[in-house]
Amino acid sequence: MKKIEKILKSLVPVLGISSALAFMMSYFIFETLRPKMINFKPITRAEEGLMNYFGIGLLIFLSFCLLSLFQLTRYLKKAKKISLFYLLLLVMNILSLVFIFGDVALLSDIGKQYKYGLSQPEWSILYPVTAFQLVSSLILTYSHVFKLKKDGQTKFVAKDSNIFMVAQYVGFICGSMGLSSTSLGFIFPRSSLWMLKIHTLMGTFILLIPYALILGYWFMIKAQEKTKEWYDEKQIQDLGKSSFLTLISSLAIMTSIFFFNFNSLEGVISVLWFPFYAFLVLLLFSLANLYYSEKN
Amino acid sequence: MKIGNNLRQYRFKHHQISQQELANKVGVTRLTIHSIETGKFVPSTLLALKLARFFKVKVEDIFRLPATKGGQK
Repeated sequence: MKKIEKILKSLVPVLGISSALAFMMSYFIFETLRPKMINFKPITRAEEGLMNYFGIGLLIFLSFCLLSLFQLTRYLKKAKKISLFYLLLLVMNILSLVFIFGDVALLSDIGKQYKYGLSQPEWSILYPVTAFQLVSSLILTYSHVFKLKKDGQTKFVAKDSNIFMVAQYVGFICGSMGLSSTSLGFIFPRSSLWMLKIHTLMGTFILLIPYALILGYWFMIKAQEKTKEWYDEKQIQDLGKSSFLTLISSLAIMTSIFFFNFNSLEGVISVLWFPFYAFLVLLLFSLANLYYSEKN
Repeated sequence: MKIGNNLRQYRFKHHQISQQELANKVGVTRLTIHSIETGKFVPSTLLALKLARFFKVKVEDIFRLPATKGGQK
């Protein structure tokens, strides 16, 4: 077990530095391709092949993000305090992970638009997104090597509260992002209902990945525990209050949305109601749990 | 309703045991011990008994009802 831990610990900086180098290299790739693509000049096979290197870089970064999230959560399980610094690392890690799917979508759109002779405004989003990923890979690597020390942890925790809290923070982040993206679907509707369905389905799936990962880890921990009680009495009380608050608030919000859209129930609302509801519940429940846990 | 308690004092008397260590001994989370100490959470009878047994005292030694306006307890 200790051997695996050592391997994981040394693998994080290797993957992190490799990711950072891959992102640095990707700027040279983008700068080679972008001027040609926006002016609709032909691209050679060799130039097209450069994108494969970016794809490999993204795969390395995906492995880094997943491993970093796993290691960070494991560290926080026994951390004496979940400070703002760790929360920022968590947010950065989750955003970087979700943005990988964004990179793929942006590049796919750029490729299609170039093919059909259309402008490619996605380049202006791709640069800052990859810059953020480059910076986050460096900060996360530095933190894993120098900041996540044993002296910031307790030796033994019989009943976990930190992973429970981390799950609520992740739920809050995923819920906020999901609710924002779904709301954008209401404000800027897609050209066709079919396109909206595809984008909504993919977006919902991608934004729920970090929450699913943390829940999976939490279930794994609980399955290993000898006791059958998953929560202690205060957590049960907090969960009860949060569930009630979520039920009342979500009912009120969904009812008002239903009445506001009563004359157009077959439009955008027919696709967006479910992701909106799912992310709303996730956000309200996580926020209420954080409030009741932190209040005391 | 809030109840008063001497949990913090007993923790310090008992080799200055930390909240986490006490939580491990009675099978709850550190946040629960913290909430009891600050009077924000009223523990169940079972937990109150477990805490009393751990410190080898009576439940009333750790927990007390707050005094009412008329001076009644």
